[in-house]
Amino acid sequence: MKSIINIIQNLRSIVRPPQQWRIPVFILTGILIGLGFLTLYVGNATSYLSDDPRACMNCHVMAPQFATWERGSHARVAVCNDCHVPHDNIISKFVFKAMDGTRHSFMFTFRLEPQVIHIKQAGLNVVQENCKRCHEQLVDKVAIKNVTGENTKHGEGRLCWECHRETPHGRVNSLSSVPYARVSILSSITPEWMKKYLKE
Amino acid sequence: MKIVDIIEKKPWVAWVLFGGTAVLVFLVGWLGASIVERRNEAALQYRLVKPIAEWEPRNEVWGENFPREFETYRSTIDTSHESKYGGSKMRDLLEEDAMNVVLFAGYAFSRDYNQARGHYYAINDIRNTLRTAVPQPATCWSCKSTDVPRLMNQMGPANFYKGSWDSLGHEVVNNIGCQDCHDPKSMNLRITRPALAEAWARQGKDITKATHQEMRSLVCAQCHVEYYFKGKVEKYLTFPWDKGFSADSMEAYYEEVGHVDFVHTLSKTPIVKAQHPDYELYRTGIHAERGVSCADCHMPYKNEGSVKFTNHKIASPLENISGSCQVCHRESEEILIKNVNDRQDKVMEVKLLAEKALVAVHIEAKAAYDAGADSTELIPALKLIRSAQWRWDWVSSANGVGFHSPLEAIRVLSTSIQRAEEARRFITQILMKHGVRKPIPFPDLSTKAKAQAFIGLDMKKLEAEKSEWKKKILPVWDAKAKERQGGMNY
Repeated sequence: MKSIINIIQNLRSIVRPPQQWRIPVFILTGILIGLGFLTLYVGNATSYLSDDPRACMNCHVMAPQFATWERGSHARVAVCNDCHVPHDNIISKFVFKAMDGTRHSFMFTFRLEPQVIHIKQAGLNVVQENCKRCHEQLVDKVAIKNVTGENTKHGEGRLCWECHRETPHGRVNSLSSVPYARVSILSSITPEWMKKYLKE
Repeated sequence: MKIVDIIEKKPWVAWVLFGGTAVLVFLVGWLGASIVERRNEAALQYRLVKPIAEWEPRNEVWGENFPREFETYRSTIDTSHESKYGGSKMRDLLEEDAMNVVLFAGYAFSRDYNQARGHYYAINDIRNTLRTAVPQPATCWSCKSTDVPRLMNQMGPANFYKGSWDSLGHEVVNNIGCQDCHDPKSMNLRITRPALAEAWARQGKDITKATHQEMRSLVCAQCHVEYYFKGKVEKYLTFPWDKGFSADSMEAYYEEVGHVDFVHTLSKTPIVKAQHPDYELYRTGIHAERGVSCADCHMPYKNEGSVKFTNHKIASPLENISGSCQVCHRESEEILIKNVNDRQDKVMEVKLLAEKALVAVHIEAKAAYDAGADSTELIPALKLIRSAQWRWDWVSSANGVGFHSPLEAIRVLSTSIQRAEEARRFITQILMKHGVRKPIPFPDLSTKAKAQAFIGLDMKKLEAEKSEWKKKILPVWDAKAKERQGGMNY
C-alpha cells in the first residue's frame, strides 16, 4: 500500500506544472478535453455502443448496404449487428466491434474505401455463424449446419450466401449501386434551434 | 478467531453464511443441470429409431428412420413431368429420332433405347428393355440396385462382374436407393461402387479424402459416367479416365487399349459406344467451375414446416425451378426455362447435323462394299467414322441435351461432324473408283418402324420373345427374392 502511494506522489511531482504555469495548463487541458468531447459528439461516438443500424450510417459509404438491407427480407428481423457481430458472448462482441470499427474509421478517415467493399475472412466467419444462429432450427437436420467460414476454405461446404446470393445486400456490389436510395444520413451538427437563430 | 466465536459476537454472520451457501448451491446445481441438458442434446442429436444393418438393401428399412428423405425418394415414381427434351416421363428415343436406329445397327440399342425415368424404376426398366434379351454380363446390374454393394461384399467385385446377367436376377431386386450413397451408421456420403474409387486411385487421388461438396457430385459419378467392361471374360467395370476426362482423352485411351463395343452392320466400323458422360461433361461447365455440385441442382433443399432437408426426388431441375434454379438465379420461371431450352436447342441442332452426316457415311460405306470395295480400302474412312460416332455419342448419350456444358457439347459435336464429312469425302473417291457416280440416296427414317425395317430387324419376333421370357422368368426371380428378404414384416 505505502509503495503505491509513493509512486503516485512521485508521478504527481513530475507532472505538476510550476506555479506560474498552472492557470494556462488548466485552460489548455480544458480546451483539449472540450475538443475531445466535441469529436465524440460530431463522430456520434456513443452510437457505437448500440446496435442501431444508423450507427453504421455514420460512414455514408455504407449507404448501399443500408438501403439494400432496409428494402430486403431481413429489415424487420435483423439489424446490422445481428449478422455482422459475433453473438457467442459479450466480450467477443465488443472486441470484434472495436477492431472492426477501428479499421472502418481508419479507412473512412483516410478515404481508403474501395469501390467494391468486400467482407474480410473474419467478418465472413461471423456472418456465417449468425446465419446459423437465427436459422438454427431450419438447418438442424442437414449437413449445412456444419459449414463454417473456415471449412469452406477447404471446400467442405458452401457458405449460405453462395446460393442465397440476393440476401440481404443484393448482387450488385458497389459504392454507387444505390444512387437514388433514400437512406438515413447524418444530420447537420448544428442543432435546429441554433440554425433558426443564425438565420435571423 | 474461530468462526464459532465470530458468530457468537455477531449472529448475522451466520445468516450470511447460510444465505451465501444457499445461493452457491443453487448456482452450482443450475450449472450441473445445464451440463446434463447439453449432454442429452448430443445423445439425442442423432439417434436411429431402428438401427440399419450394414448392407441393408431395402430402402423401406432406411425410410423408417428418415421418412422425409424416403418419401421424396419414392416420389421418383412420378412420371408426369415432361420438359422440352427430358423430364421424368419415359421417352422412346428411337421414336423421337429414328436415326439412332441406323447409328446403332448391329447393337442392342437399335432395338430399344429410352430416356430413363426415376430411380424407382431402375429394376423394372432394366428387366423390361429389349437390350437385356441379348446375353449380358452381370456387370450390367452394377448401377441399378442397392443389392449390388451387398453382393459385392459377399463375392467380391471381380466375381460379381464375371457372372451372367440372368444368374443374378433373383438377387438384384431393390431399386437404386439409400445404401448406394450413404453409410448406415452415420448417414455420411460414401462410395459403394469400386469402379469410381479405382479410377480415382489410378489418377493418384484418394477418394476417401474428397470434401463433402465434392462427394455431393461423386456419389452420382458412381454411375452417371462413361464406362466400359474391361476383358472378354472378366467384364470388369472400368472408367476410361486414365488420360483425362474429356472426349478426346477418353478416345486416346480407347485407341490404346483397342476397345470395341460392336461392329456396325452397314459400314463394318468397329464402334465404341459412349454411355452418359454426365459427370465428365458437367465438370467442364460453368456450374462446376463455380462449385455447384450435382445435388445442389438435382437434390436441392426443401422446407417442410421449419425444417430443411435434402429433397431426394432426383429429377429434372425444370420440375422444381423455384427450389432449384431460383435459389441462386432470381429470374422468372419462364425466362429460366427459356434459357435452358435455348441452349438445348442449339446443342440439338448441331447434334442432328452430326447424326445426318454419320447416317450418310454408314450408308455410303455400305454402298462402297456393295460396289465391290474390300474392307482394307476403307480402313482410313473407318477410323474417321469410329472417331466421329464416338464423339457424337459422347454428347448424345449424356442427359440434358448438353445443358451441363453447352459449349463443350457443341465443340465435341463439331469435331464429330468434321470427321464424318472427311470420311464421306474419302468414301466418295472409293465409290468413284468402283464406278458409282451418283450420290447415295438417304433412306426414309421418319419412323422407328421404318428405320428398324431398313436395318433388317424383326421387331415382332424380338418383342414376342421378350414377352415370353418376362412371363416365365420374372415371377421366379420375384419369388426367390421374397424368400430371401421378405417384405416389411420382419
